[in-house]
Amino acid sequence: MKEIKLKVNHKDYHVAIEEDMRLLDLLRNRLNLTGTKEGCGEGECGACTVIMDGITVNSCMVMAFQAENREIFTIEGLEKGGRLDPIQQAFLDEGAVQCGFCTPGMVLSAKALLDKNPKPTREEIREGISGNLCRCTGYNKIVDAIEKASEYRKEE
Amino acid sequence: MKLHVVGQNNMRVDAAAKVTGKALYPEDVSLEGMFIGKTLRSHKPHACITIDTSRAEAMEGVVKVLTYKDVPHNHYGVLMKDHEVFCSEKVRRIGDPIAFVVAVDEEVASKALAKIKVEYRELKAVFDPEVAMHQDAPKLHGESNIVYHYKLRQGDIEKGLEESAVVVENTYVTPMVDHVFLQPEAGVAHMEKDTIVVTTATQYPHFDQLEIAEALEVEKEKVKVINAAVGGAFGGREDITLQIHLALATKLTGKPVKAVYSREESFIAHAKRHAMVMTYKTGADEEGKLKAMEARIIGDTGAYASWAINIMRKAGVHATGPYEIPNVKVDSYAVYTNNPFGGAMRGFGATQPPIAHEQQMDMLAEALNIDPISIRLTNAFKIGSKTATGQILKDSVPLRQCIEAVAEKLGFSVVSRGV
Amino acid sequence: MALREVYKPKDITEVLQLLDKYKDKGKIIAGGTDLIIDLKERAIDPEVLIDIATLEELKGIAFKGSYIEIGAATTFAEMMDHVITKEKTPALVKAARSIGSPQIRNTATIGGNICNASPAADMLPVLLALDASIILKDLEGEKTILLEQVLKGKGKIDIERNQLLSYVKFKAPVDGEGLSFEKLGFRKALAIAKIALGVFVEVENNKCKEIRIGSGAIHNRAIRESKIEDYFRGKILSDAVIEEGSELFQEEVRERLINRSSGEFKREAIKGIFTTAMKTALSTIKS
Repeated sequence: MKEIKLKVNHKDYHVAIEEDMRLLDLLRNRLNLTGTKEGCGEGECGACTVIMDGITVNSCMVMAFQAENREIFTIEGLEKGGRLDPIQQAFLDEGAVQCGFCTPGMVLSAKALLDKNPKPTREEIREGISGNLCRCTGYNKIVDAIEKASEYRKEE
Repeated sequence: MKLHVVGQNNMRVDAAAKVTGKALYPEDVSLEGMFIGKTLRSHKPHACITIDTSRAEAMEGVVKVLTYKDVPHNHYGVLMKDHEVFCSEKVRRIGDPIAFVVAVDEEVASKALAKIKVEYRELKAVFDPEVAMHQDAPKLHGESNIVYHYKLRQGDIEKGLEESAVVVENTYVTPMVDHVFLQPEAGVAHMEKDTIVVTTATQYPHFDQLEIAEALEVEKEKVKVINAAVGGAFGGREDITLQIHLALATKLTGKPVKAVYSREESFIAHAKRHAMVMTYKTGADEEGKLKAMEARIIGDTGAYASWAINIMRKAGVHATGPYEIPNVKVDSYAVYTNNPFGGAMRGFGATQPPIAHEQQMDMLAEALNIDPISIRLTNAFKIGSKTATGQILKDSVPLRQCIEAVAEKLGFSVVSRGV
Repeated sequence: MALREVYKPKDITEVLQLLDKYKDKGKIIAGGTDLIIDLKERAIDPEVLIDIATLEELKGIAFKGSYIEIGAATTFAEMMDHVITKEKTPALVKAARSIGSPQIRNTATIGGNICNASPAADMLPVLLALDASIILKDLEGEKTILLEQVLKGKGKIDIERNQLLSYVKFKAPVDGEGLSFEKLGFRKALAIAKIALGVFVEVENNKCKEIRIGSGAIHNRAIRESKIEDYFRGKILSDAVIEEGSELFQEEVRERLINRSSGEFKREAIKGIFTTAMKTALSTIKS
């Protein structure tokens, strides 16, 4: 066991971890942030995507101890004051949610993309979510939603 | 009349929960004091087995090791009850469940799996469905590996082929396919007084309830199946995977029990799209009008039947494609092998035959020097067409418009010949 | 996993002390994108992990005279965004961009790609074409060694357990020199290379003065294709010469992969990939 400090969704945590724990296990099992999903456990599907110090990572491919002193955002950290993030709203409005298992990772990949490139082309959006699989084959709607989110964010 | 749904942009009821991460999939559910369950699976495709769980059961932290001996009625399956909850004497595929360890945590459960001793006495296995059809092939269940034979006869096939100016004959092979739904199987079971509650992701909660009740020999009303959020299914969650294991575990221990499959286990646990071998003989006259089609379709249903009967019937019914053909002979089979078992997947048997009949159409067109669009328009179903099974299509047959729209988008100029 | 200890050292010295202390039981982790899978599948079983992912000393890209130096913990995303790599070695940026997915490029490092020594590692062909060296540090000091000399086979690299790969260096291409990277994968994202090639070419008086071809996924490790290089040296790089060279390459691949299921496919594919790589390298030459 080892104690680490980290920040998750603006909140400071002091938490005991096992040496062999992944960041994904820490989030899901210790902090009960189950919005982060495990689809493959080897970085192929992107369902476990979180934002760490401003960039997306697969939380199944980061050891928990590596997250010490780092700042993490998960899907649970996106709402502000009970209001959906524009990306979440756009996913709803465009019907980009089907089974929903890829959605948290998709939304976070979209956020990292839009934070860096506020007005991406459709091609850039596709590149931005190329590490996130959707097996319901809802990619077109997801790309539509990210385009719309880019507009929503401009309006805010 | 005011329509409330048609033409309206309605929000999915579960979408808000899904975009915020609040939606609970079965692996997101944790109950106080729950145990963890892990499945021991066969490493051999066909073998007689003897199981010794004593070393695993003696381990600290192991609550129970379930085997066939613990199952009151050790049979289940959507159509034929050919699955065993846990294999008793014989395994029929790699991945067949043999035992289920219930332990205090995942680490102990994993270590206990390694302590279960399974002795395999290997049997001759069969992996090619055509070979499996022979009388002297190794048998999976009973006397024959042929689960089902669908026959379709329309007109006079010999005459139709004779009258054809061109006949093309080919064999097409399609592979098994996995659904790879993004959320691997998971579930939690617990007792509510004397009712067994199984929370899982399934396509078939009411049938799961029935199968759990039958296997455990309890009243149906004493089993409750709760469908959590389902992370994709595409047919792959029609068959039972961990539902009975969990129900039995909670019933025998009195405590909540949870199981979550890894992606690897998910691959070996659930059904696959049927691999098919399709031999087609198709004849047309000089104008490209189809005269006859003969098809022999063999579906590999692997170790268990699952939906094979419905799927291979559907493959047979759809064998002609959307074309009018006066003389048709179809034989479609579902065959047991020691492969992963075939089951439902998007299209349910209607997906594979187009690979065959559409290539046949292209080859006929080429042989007759007709373009591929025209030969399809010449034969396409329209209102009033009679299908090979005798159905008269009475309304809504927009195939022609569809083909024309595709041709236009392709910039394909249709050279009409007798259309 | 039987991990006992995990460390996040504050500087290189501490890393070297830990490596020296734990030797075979210790393992460096950076991006972790290969290592964590190996841990899960128990392909490796270290007792100690030493995280260097955030060590500033091991990150960054800089000029040192005529050389470019890239810190071992520099991620592919950082390489894709850096002004030096973008201007001087677009082929290296292209190789970085071809790797995995955004999430993987955000964490996976150049040092990890080298140390993992996959035969299909995307970075290695270009680094071999650049004749890159790696700098290994231990408590005694540091030494520089050619990358080509440490690659020994699939997953095999000649680095001692007490040594830390600290950075990679190579000469920045100058006027008269061209560089390219080509990869054949089965899809756009998350594709493991079926063939990867890096080509460096130097032309003087219209003739090929120097050429270095690094290949991936057509041997048990990334290698220099010396036989093909020898063919080109001193020749005028006309279309006909490139064609003949690519046929020689086909023959080489055919012999090498004779009993491999992918042999027939790769033998065909190498011709197109190599021709494109050659022509792209030539087109990047500034005069």
